[in-house]
Amino acid sequence: MPQRGNLTLHLVVIVGFLTLCPVLMLLLGSFMEGFGEFNGLTVQKYVTAYTDPGLQEMFVNTLIFTLGSATVATTLALFLAYMNTRTNIPFKFAFKVISIVPMMIPHILFCVSWALLLNPSNGILNKLFMDLFGLENAPFNIYSLWGMIMVEGLLDLPIAYLILAPAMQSFDVSLEESSKVCGATNWKTLFRITLPVLRPAILAAIILVIVRSLASFAAPSVLGIPGRIYVLPTHIYRMISTGFSADYGQAAAIGMSALAASIVLIYLYRYLTSESSRYVTISGRGFKPSVIDLKQYKYPLFTLVGVLSFVLIVLPIIVLLYASFLPYIMVPSLKAFSMMSLQNWNEVLSDPISLLSLKNSLMLGIGGATLGVMLSILVAYVIVKVRTKLSGVLESLSFLSFSFPGIVVGVGFMWFFVQTPLYGTIWALLIGYIATYLPYGIRPMSSAFVQIHASLEESSRVSGAGAFTTMKRIVVPLLIPGIVSGWILMATMFVRELTLSVVLSRPGSEVLAVQILRFSEDGLWGQLSALGIIMIVISSTLVVVVTWIGNHFSGMNVKG
Amino acid sequence: MQKFLSCLLGVAVATSVYAADVVKAKKEGTANLYANITAIEPLMEAFSQSTGIKALYTRVSTAKYVSTVLTEHMAGKLQADLLQGPLPVLQILKDKGVIDTNYVSPLAAGYPDWAVKEAGIVQFAIEYVAPIYNTQLVKEADVPKSYADLADPKWKDKIVMPDPSSHATTISWLVGLKEAKVFENDDAWMAFLKGLSANKPMFVKSFSPTPAPVESGEKLIAISMPKYIITKPKSPLGWANVGPILGSPRGISVAKNAPHPEAARLLMDYWLSRDTMKTLASKVGEYVLTPGIYPPIAGMDKAQVIPIRELSDDEIKTWGNTFKQIFYAK
Repeated sequence: MPQRGNLTLHLVVIVGFLTLCPVLMLLLGSFMEGFGEFNGLTVQKYVTAYTDPGLQEMFVNTLIFTLGSATVATTLALFLAYMNTRTNIPFKFAFKVISIVPMMIPHILFCVSWALLLNPSNGILNKLFMDLFGLENAPFNIYSLWGMIMVEGLLDLPIAYLILAPAMQSFDVSLEESSKVCGATNWKTLFRITLPVLRPAILAAIILVIVRSLASFAAPSVLGIPGRIYVLPTHIYRMISTGFSADYGQAAAIGMSALAASIVLIYLYRYLTSESSRYVTISGRGFKPSVIDLKQYKYPLFTLVGVLSFVLIVLPIIVLLYASFLPYIMVPSLKAFSMMSLQNWNEVLSDPISLLSLKNSLMLGIGGATLGVMLSILVAYVIVKVRTKLSGVLESLSFLSFSFPGIVVGVGFMWFFVQTPLYGTIWALLIGYIATYLPYGIRPMSSAFVQIHASLEESSRVSGAGAFTTMKRIVVPLLIPGIVSGWILMATMFVRELTLSVVLSRPGSEVLAVQILRFSEDGLWGQLSALGIIMIVISSTLVVVVTWIGNHFSGMNVKG
Repeated sequence: MQKFLSCLLGVAVATSVYAADVVKAKKEGTANLYANITAIEPLMEAFSQSTGIKALYTRVSTAKYVSTVLTEHMAGKLQADLLQGPLPVLQILKDKGVIDTNYVSPLAAGYPDWAVKEAGIVQFAIEYVAPIYNTQLVKEADVPKSYADLADPKWKDKIVMPDPSSHATTISWLVGLKEAKVFENDDAWMAFLKGLSANKPMFVKSFSPTPAPVESGEKLIAISMPKYIITKPKSPLGWANVGPILGSPRGISVAKNAPHPEAARLLMDYWLSRDTMKTLASKVGEYVLTPGIYPPIAGMDKAQVIPIRELSDDEIKTWGNTFKQIFYAK
């Protein structure tokens, strides 16, 4: 297949260029003696970084934190995705949007909201439980490893959801029916048929959440530092903030362990899903995604999903909305309500930098996600359908920048872009976003590709269509749920992206997250909350519009 | 305020108070300030309006300041005309040849000798650190009167502060308390540290997240900066006068290879003018070094504010490890 070989090679060059450059700069930096000076190579930064006495405890914390977050996110996502795609639960569209909402909230705000709800001194929910049950001490402490895991799990829920939902949507229910006809119970069918067939998507979700939580900074800094629990990103932060001349080379040296872990996970994933034909559910024989009638469990399950969604996701947003009307953060009281005003909203909406940030972020969200998805379709196709050694390299390359803790990879991009004319422009942000968050586009697309049988493409080719026509006429239409998921993940990420933006943004190319950081550094939580709500509204609108377009095209395909 | 500043700057420019070449500066059209300081946008806007030179403010966090400026400088793409930051940051940049050591602003003459002794850097303010507290939840009688009071067990689980094992300014401040002889002797200083540690303060990554837990009542006291009383005027915040106030000097410099050198000088002169300092004190709460100007915080005009010795990065790391052993002891 020379065409496929060419495509793979071209993609390796493009993706390699995008992701390798910053990582190579960091690798180089980790071996250089001085800052940005080629005055000799040294391994001292590795020695210093890896002989830190606190390293073992930090690694154990990181392991528990990442695995715990992946478990919470994937379990919740499996449940919600199953309910929303495979059952007749009411208000499923609302639940779908709710499942994606944490992706749209600036993570720092989501963490602050949870701190207000569950801090051990005067957390709103803690107070409520103490009053209700006559407790002397607060029952929950959000500044703990479990608190970090819960919040990070919720923040990463959309990632897992948007990978699992398309796979469930295209699940051939006749497989389950066959199992039941053969006498298997619902539970046996779930564990012997449903979950094994979904294995690639479940593994993809777990791996992506592990890698993301490995690089996450918001929950570890807002909840971990007060609880004196350090994980990899906060360990790196501590390393670079102790002194005025940060040693990013040493930070990069420790960041290499995250990169190594990610590469191992990717190869593990490829090994565990190597027999991809086992997971095909859409073949030339036709498939029928059908809806299961929950019968008498319909309303109890609706209540359960509703309560879960409210407590875990809606409540923190209500806290944000509440804070956006207040002059400063205070627990709810008559006094607090009497002090409410629209002042924060007026200030945000009349601030020219905030308005410019809105415009830039919207442009980057829509334009970046569209370009990113186009590239992701091709990359996912090569990873899943070509499956040569080179496609394995391509998959690893796509994860390179993504795997690095954000505070380090941003500097890698700065070292790279400063050598180009793009430095300080909005285009540097666009390229940096796509390069870093490519896995958000590739993962949902790969899960969808895995389920499409090769016979469909072969039939197209036999009928005389080339690779591009087959892709356009056969593969892409079947990929629409994956495309919608990838687009949503990328667009919502780009609208709230901080780690690259804070390093690459300059006057004129300000984006929302940088403006939010500015408010946060000035302690202006009311304005910060107002801008956060605006961000959620923008992202929700994008999600609704794209989901509608996706449904429209899916409908057209079914009719066609 | 903006109108007033515009008029003032206009008069100043017209009467050639500034050493910078105004005509050339106007031709350059732009001046870019790299800094990490709160609420200075109105000052920049006033400069733009009165001179016709666009004043850009690029906010760079202190942790990334040196790496950002050096990366740009080494690539020959430094976009900053004017650099403003903590003194040690400017000293590092000066050692790397980033700072113009030749330009001496005539406005620097109004500052104390020690603040202008270093060529190319004018120290214009002190980032002062002191306890702040919730005025609605802490009775006047209970407000700490001395540093040692912060070690009183009654404040257990009620204090928030930046992590003393990693936050450079907090490390420098704690060492400053020792070196400025705020305590009778080193033993008393160590007893204070241990007492503060025993009170299990909640750590955050820097000063900026310290006021929020105090405002909300989650904690009652923060080791923080009294300037938040000005920048958050509606918050129930007061400051505790516990003795001499220590802080890190902030400086300002023209970049050596500034893309807009004359505009940079003009902006530097404007920044150091008495009226700009008045605004910085009254609107941003800065403790400026222009004699006779104080932030409008009760008692601040009488307070003794001392600049601390700047520690090297190696010293900060060593002391950070020492404080880690004290504050993280299990």
